[in-house]
Amino acid sequence: MEYNGGAVVAMVGKNCVAIACDKRLGVQAMTISTEFKKTFQVTPKTYIGLPGLATDVQTLAEKFRFKVNMYKLKEEREIEPRTLAHLVSSTLYERRFGPWFVEPVVAGLDKENRPFICSTDLIGCINFAKDFVVSGTTSNQLYGMCESLWEPDLEPEELFETISQSLMNAVDRDCLSGWGAEVTVITPDKVITRTLRSRQD
Amino acid sequence: MFSTYPGQVVVDHPVSVPIEHRFDPYVDNGGTLLSIAGDTFCVVAADTRQSEGYSINSRYVPKSVKLSDKTVISMGGCYADCLTLTKKIQQSMEWYHHAHGKTMSTAAVAQMLSIMLYQKRFFPFYSWCILGGLDEEGKGAVYTYDPVGSYERESCRCAGSASSLIQPFLDNQINFKNQETQKKNLTLEQVVRITKDSFTSATERDIYTGDYLEIFVITSKGVDVQRMDLKKD
Amino acid sequence: MDTLVSKYANSSSAASFDNEEHIGDSLTGWDAANQFAIPAFDIPMVGNPVDFLRAHTDASAENRIRIQHGTTTLAFKFQGGIVVAVDSRASGGSYIASQTVKKVIEINPYLLGTMAGGAADCQYWERELGRRCRLYELRNKERISVAAASKILSNMVYDYKGMGLSMGTMITGWDKTGPQLFYVDSDGTRMRGERFSVGSGSTFAYGVLDSGYDYNLSIPDALELGRRAIYHATHRDAYSGGSVNVFHVKQTGWEFKGNFDVGELHWEYQAQPKGPIV
Repeated sequence: MEYNGGAVVAMVGKNCVAIACDKRLGVQAMTISTEFKKTFQVTPKTYIGLPGLATDVQTLAEKFRFKVNMYKLKEEREIEPRTLAHLVSSTLYERRFGPWFVEPVVAGLDKENRPFICSTDLIGCINFAKDFVVSGTTSNQLYGMCESLWEPDLEPEELFETISQSLMNAVDRDCLSGWGAEVTVITPDKVITRTLRSRQD
Repeated sequence: MFSTYPGQVVVDHPVSVPIEHRFDPYVDNGGTLLSIAGDTFCVVAADTRQSEGYSINSRYVPKSVKLSDKTVISMGGCYADCLTLTKKIQQSMEWYHHAHGKTMSTAAVAQMLSIMLYQKRFFPFYSWCILGGLDEEGKGAVYTYDPVGSYERESCRCAGSASSLIQPFLDNQINFKNQETQKKNLTLEQVVRITKDSFTSATERDIYTGDYLEIFVITSKGVDVQRMDLKKD
Repeated sequence: MDTLVSKYANSSSAASFDNEEHIGDSLTGWDAANQFAIPAFDIPMVGNPVDFLRAHTDASAENRIRIQHGTTTLAFKFQGGIVVAVDSRASGGSYIASQTVKKVIEINPYLLGTMAGGAADCQYWERELGRRCRLYELRNKERISVAAASKILSNMVYDYKGMGLSMGTMITGWDKTGPQLFYVDSDGTRMRGERFSVGSGSTFAYGVLDSGYDYNLSIPDALELGRRAIYHATHRDAYSGGSVNVFHVKQTGWEFKGNFDVGELHWEYQAQPKGPIV
């Protein structure tokens, strides 16, 4: 995780969820790119965040795209966020003794538009949460921020503000994350993605 | 005695190998401390849990000590080192009082502590120190240290096991980082509220923080101590 | 007050380093070198204190004593004197311990030192240097030269070579011979030079500095070059950041030229039209 850096956080609101990531790609101390996003759209209402080793991030993003497409062809329906979480988990556990260096986060709305978020460790142990999940090199800082800023039943705009403040202030205390951020808020009728203008050091 | 191949030596007693000795005089007793400077006051707060590994030694061991009417020191890390260091500071302050006929100012204690820590540059005190108090003009002052004595005056600082959880929150709420609102001076009530919120949040996620919160409020009238319950799990 | 002081002058609280009561004195008589004695540091009672320190400050150590690190600093000579520019981040591991560190140490009104490596080492030794420079001034009724000052520092830290000190510093100032710039580090290196950059972000700073450097730069241009070089280093180097502090060393002493938050500086530079590449 420390090699490339990166942070992802997801939060639950009132009939909505949000997922956010930083945009840094580094090789240890040196920042290579400031446009490296770590969240990917899986279905219209489901996103996956993949912070960790960049090579595995890209490989897994493609792998999950393939698996989700196969699921859609077979089942003739979109994959549910909860199902996706188990797909992620079993994919990671296949590599139990030589893991992918990624700690995924899944966020989305299910078919009844109920919010769902979860995170897993790098070998696929799922952590279901009702409030928020954090992942990446900034997890301590994010836990502190989310624990004090988050409250139940936030409306989409409030949720956007909360997750943005949590992420930005957290990465500002981490050398290896930051350099811009991207926030996605998923509501039953639309998905809003915004890019945050944050410190560039 | 038997051997499975020629030349093999079988020994029927334990082989003596050199025993490795390591001098390891440090333990991490955990705990979190923070200090915030206001315009005319200073707040120093710390939880009172003392732990060692996964076990709790005590639920009430104060980390902060009042040094004078204008200065409070708070320390976390290895409790034994913290005790020794506190004692050294108190002794030096007493000698200073006898020699100069006045109490040491916060700035003087701050410089002295830096030298005391550096004195042990090659055998460091395992301690995170935050010195809070009022300066010569009566303004709030927070001095923060690393274990070997580099120090800096700041407006707010959190140290110890949950420092990485609380510090970004303080940046946001005290220094208004990443906020459009202009920087403004907070009142004592606001600062105490933020302090309490910080610790209740940190207690949720940090196993080394909890039990009680002890808040020292330093104003021109002296030092006032408040206590608050934190989760004990 | 004076009577009170003299009354207690021999108590150990008033013991100063110039107090001629050092243990060595009674054995060897008065020694000029003793006036410069440094308080002895506590050493752990183990076979190899160096290994002990390393074992407890290493990144892999169990109960790790984190000493603050990470920096970009630079200084260069030009026709108008010397520009000194530094960032302000201190990090312990990947955690940002502070964004507001003062990495330019004001030794006296004519001497500046910069800070890279161990924060405590730089702060302590440059403070000690300040004390010695003041003593020199009182004895000799004239200011110390930058060459001499930097050599005092270099000799002091050389005594502790291999013990784990970590500092990379530039000592600058203006003396009888004009503007002077020296690089001193904890290995014992001491070099005179035209321009230096020290720290984890130094390579990035050198890139900007070398491409924009000219001895005949005007004062505002030189200050801007220093600021820009540090900004670029904070942008690319993870362990540098916070804000840029800029100083100008002139004949009349040094002058603080401002503190610029990198968070805002980035967007200022982004908005500026880009100049020709060559």
